[in-house]
Amino acid sequence: MIERNVSRRDFLKLSGAAFGMLAARQFIPPPVASDARQANLLDLNGDGYIPTICEMCVWRCGVVAKVNNGRVVKLEGNPDHPQSRGKLCARGQSGLMTTYDPDRVLHPLIRVGKRGEGKFRQASWSEALDLVADKMQAVKEKYGPEAMIFSSTHNLSQVQFENLLSGFGSPNYGTQRSLCFNAMVTAFLLTYGIEEPSRNYDNVKFILLVGRNLTEAISTSETSDLVEAVSRGARLVYLDPRYTKTAALADEWIPIRPGTDASFLLAMLQVITSEELGDCEFVKRYTVGCDDLPATMQNYTPKWAEAITGVPAATIDRIAREFAAAGKDALVHPGWRTSNFINSFQTERAIAALNALVGNVLRPGGCLIAESPDASNVPLGKPSQPPYPRVSAMRLDGVPWKYPLVPLKLGIFQELRDAILSGQPYQARGWLISRQNPVLSLPDRKRTLEALDKLDFIAVVDIIMNDTSWFADVVLPESSYLERFDPLSVVGEKIFIRQPVIEPQGDTHSALWIFKELGKRLGLGDYFQYQDEEDYLRIQLAPLKLNLDELKVKGFLESPSEKKNGEIKFNTPSGKIEIYSETLAKAGFSPWPTWEEPPYPKPGEYYLLTGKVGQHTQFATQNNQLLHKYEDKPRIWVHTSAAKTIGIVTDDLVRVISPVGEVILAALVTEGIRPDCVYMTPGYGHLSKGLVTAYAHGASDSELHMTFTDPISGGQALSQTFVQLAKA
Amino acid sequence: MPQKNHYGFVIDVSRCIDCRACLVSCSVENAVPMNHTRIWVHDLGLQGEFPDLRRTFTPYNCMHCDNPPCIQVCTSGATYKDKETGVVLVNQEACIGCGFCVEACPYDARYLDEKRGVVDKCNACDQRLVIGQKPACVTTCLGGARMFGDLNDPNSEAAIALKNTNSILQRLDIEYEKGTYTRPNIYYINSDENLNARLEPHQPQYTLAEQSWRKFFLPAVLVGVGATVLGQAIMFTKQLLQGESEFEDR
Amino acid sequence: MSSYKKIPLSDRKRLHEKKIRKHDLANILTHWFNVGMWALLLPTGIAIISSPRLGISPEWLQEFFRNSFGGTDNLIKFHYTMGLIWTIVLTWNVLLGFRKYFLPFAAHRMWLDKDDIKWLMVKPLQMIGLKKGQPLPPQDEYNAGQKLYMYVVILGTAGIMLSGIVMTFRTIFPVWMKQWAQPLHWVSVGAIVAGLAVHVYMGAFFPEEKESFFSMFTGEVSAWFARAHHEKWYWRKVEQEMEWEEKVRKESEVI
Repeated sequence: MIERNVSRRDFLKLSGAAFGMLAARQFIPPPVASDARQANLLDLNGDGYIPTICEMCVWRCGVVAKVNNGRVVKLEGNPDHPQSRGKLCARGQSGLMTTYDPDRVLHPLIRVGKRGEGKFRQASWSEALDLVADKMQAVKEKYGPEAMIFSSTHNLSQVQFENLLSGFGSPNYGTQRSLCFNAMVTAFLLTYGIEEPSRNYDNVKFILLVGRNLTEAISTSETSDLVEAVSRGARLVYLDPRYTKTAALADEWIPIRPGTDASFLLAMLQVITSEELGDCEFVKRYTVGCDDLPATMQNYTPKWAEAITGVPAATIDRIAREFAAAGKDALVHPGWRTSNFINSFQTERAIAALNALVGNVLRPGGCLIAESPDASNVPLGKPSQPPYPRVSAMRLDGVPWKYPLVPLKLGIFQELRDAILSGQPYQARGWLISRQNPVLSLPDRKRTLEALDKLDFIAVVDIIMNDTSWFADVVLPESSYLERFDPLSVVGEKIFIRQPVIEPQGDTHSALWIFKELGKRLGLGDYFQYQDEEDYLRIQLAPLKLNLDELKVKGFLESPSEKKNGEIKFNTPSGKIEIYSETLAKAGFSPWPTWEEPPYPKPGEYYLLTGKVGQHTQFATQNNQLLHKYEDKPRIWVHTSAAKTIGIVTDDLVRVISPVGEVILAALVTEGIRPDCVYMTPGYGHLSKGLVTAYAHGASDSELHMTFTDPISGGQALSQTFVQLAKA
Repeated sequence: MPQKNHYGFVIDVSRCIDCRACLVSCSVENAVPMNHTRIWVHDLGLQGEFPDLRRTFTPYNCMHCDNPPCIQVCTSGATYKDKETGVVLVNQEACIGCGFCVEACPYDARYLDEKRGVVDKCNACDQRLVIGQKPACVTTCLGGARMFGDLNDPNSEAAIALKNTNSILQRLDIEYEKGTYTRPNIYYINSDENLNARLEPHQPQYTLAEQSWRKFFLPAVLVGVGATVLGQAIMFTKQLLQGESEFEDR
Repeated sequence: MSSYKKIPLSDRKRLHEKKIRKHDLANILTHWFNVGMWALLLPTGIAIISSPRLGISPEWLQEFFRNSFGGTDNLIKFHYTMGLIWTIVLTWNVLLGFRKYFLPFAAHRMWLDKDDIKWLMVKPLQMIGLKKGQPLPPQDEYNAGQKLYMYVVILGTAGIMLSGIVMTFRTIFPVWMKQWAQPLHWVSVGAIVAGLAVHVYMGAFFPEEKESFFSMFTGEVSAWFARAHHEKWYWRKVEQEMEWEEKVRKESEVI
């Protein structure tokens, strides 16, 4: 722990030693981030404040790191950053514990035992990189570049990871997206032409959250906005089979049957279109299909939905009217992790349609903005590079040859894993993974571990011995986010920098460096034409004629973009909001938001729900001791009546059995969940003994999840696994 | 004791989402040991029956009372109320870590730091107040539930929140000596619960050592010393009256 | 009436002029060191106890001391620093001097014998004007009252030192010890202070004991004083002197 209030009473012991140390401190400056020192962000004592960007989740809040004597002692939200506005969530506040985690991997590691034994030896970077490059090259020469899989969860250095992938010539790109938001992104791409509309809570009066547990799946600024809106009097209606903390905040919690959200929303569409309660003028002008919409929706009555969802028809009817009455100040949240059921895609389509009907999109003061939070008009520079080699091989994940509508950028991660196992259409031989933990994130962990066995070579870029690193052949240690530069992050019209707050501990490097060094050894040096990280950043800033040193000091620079004037246009084939989608029709799917029957559990089976907790980020943070201190112990939530049936009380151990696996976990008996559902605290059940705090703590639902893929969006269906329970 | 400003917390219970950013922020800012916490978010529990459920979260820390029982019991004066801000602080240099105050706090807001041998608790991030920052928990509160400021200053966010709320103000005020109330400086607004009943502040506990000192050893010594001093004073008086004879004892 | 009253005049003069050494230099230094440290420790100690519940020292006194020392923590640091110096020096002296300064004399200086008990039953009453004229049993180097005070001082000092160490080294000792150390410290100091009132009065104010007071500087009392007040010790000293004279005579004869 960081020692702060060293008592001066200890002068009784220190005497000479202290004096000596004190004297030395004047002459030997503490080790600090040299760049920060040069930028005058740190004084001679190694004290100062350095702006950077958080990486404890994907919201990437701006952070100001307080440094004392060369150590990070506190992290604050950067008030100038729109995602944080001066605040950080529990994970952001704990970030320095991740950097100073005693279980960090600080040197390159090469496996010496069997995979999964966790026996590694330390190696130099040159040896490790040479080995990775040799193995990758060997795969390429023997089996073709496509036999090498590259996967990474989206992050700031993603652009260079993709660069490596494309330069190498492999089409096989795995991201976490199909485990998360394929349904949402695909639906909004098809309907609005953008990946994800931004939300604006300034004037919102009615919010319908379909899942999207914002108080626990925290996105700092948006979570704050939601609370603010509710405090201000906005009405919050929340659909979720479980009584989450968002349910506690909401004015109305609707314990809807899992898999039936689309039914609820389609019924809302029916009510609104049948009586023209929406903004007809907006709808006529900006949507495709508004004329036929009422007829298409006519059978989706609230009464019909009641039988499916378990929600009274009167409630659905009322909510539809309340929603429509709020007009452009009504919002159905697009959701984020929408990998629940195969019909989640249709749920998202219905959400997109509902928002269009009240015309809240792109209207001044409206709560939906047809612009991705990620999108920006700021033209950052890029290092020059030759064109990529042509890729002739098919992708292993079936995009687009099996899944024509899934964007290439998203892919289908679980299909990629299954293709490794099946060897179809060809056998993958190697896997390069960066900042990702597929051993825990992919459904059906047994299959993932089997898939690893099929590969000749696995290399992982990680900061700690997480589960996937545990099974790797080579671990390349990246510096933590407080220790490195990354490509710039643009939010709106502001460009933010991530810069080292302390010198990297041990022998770690940034991803920019790692990818370049790997690229060089693979003969792809021409694709990495930057000297070092700062050179890269200067190249990025060059077209804007902005100064890197100024950026380092301020933490951000503004680059005003031209205001877009003129007609509201959507990036769809028709230029309008495509409630009716010709693209979907052509691909052989329903062009309208439509009802697809989900599977239902048999008697004695329960829906296995997953979700988020506010104190952790997926599977990445369970080893952080500060978060461990304040977390809720992992449990399986069981309703009181179900618990009585099984014969358990809170804290009893329960066997949770699915068709593909079994875990044992302590129970939390509660009224706060539907009687036909159970919920496992996500993120636990780590296999890596290198995570001293997290190892064997709780259980992982990846052990239980079956693999399902939505044919349209490629999204996983994490709630379609049904489980049985027994007292352990 | 009159003080210059009257700093206090205002907690809007309806805004707390139990994200615990405040707990982590405090832990880091104040190097709180892993086995202790200075502040809490009390989960009052899930109430009701499915599907009519309710759950609220109540942020909680040292109340920085106007009449703190902890200060009453501190032998060395290590804990005191800051004259400028009214914040109840512990002078770590003066504290011997005996823990009398830990027992005496009705809100269980204090803890003994075993490693450093002293008592610690929320200090309203005094080190931040002096440089114009708010306490770490308040700064990072995502929901804006935690507020802090000078309640005497009508422009402070805390005073404004108190003024504008339509809800009942609640304080966990208790009487611990006849006519003496703690007068805590955390004001809760927008809570539907009776917080006093739910959070149950208790009467100050006094350790056996302190009680025996106060009730027995203290008076015993005073009586003993008083007796001997009085005795000698009487003897000296007698002596003066008797006078001293040069040849008495030769 | 004690037998010393029967000594003839000529002898008395001789006895008045003759000096007997009562206190070794080490004793004297230690005694005044103790006095000096107590002068620093007692007031600062009282000033530290600021618990309103105990209500021992008034606010103005605490304010005065805190202002003089620049804060309660400095006051405490001063107190325990002085306390540690006091503890270390006294312990050092006692340990090193144990064989030569303590053991040989312990029996006579410390144990209460029959004479002491009888003395204790008579003298206190005489001091308040009763039992005048009753003869007192002979006392040793220290009278019974002084012996009792010595017990109080030894036990009290040990109590102060041990409890003081517990409170000073706060990271080492468990909480319950730190809690009980406080009333123990108070009681130990209090007991000594109570006895101190008598000790100071008897030593410095009481006319009979005037020689006693100065012996704390010179180390000597007159033989008369010894004979009168500490008869058993006097005769032992006479014996020692005679033995010494015998020894010298023998040694000088050889030459």
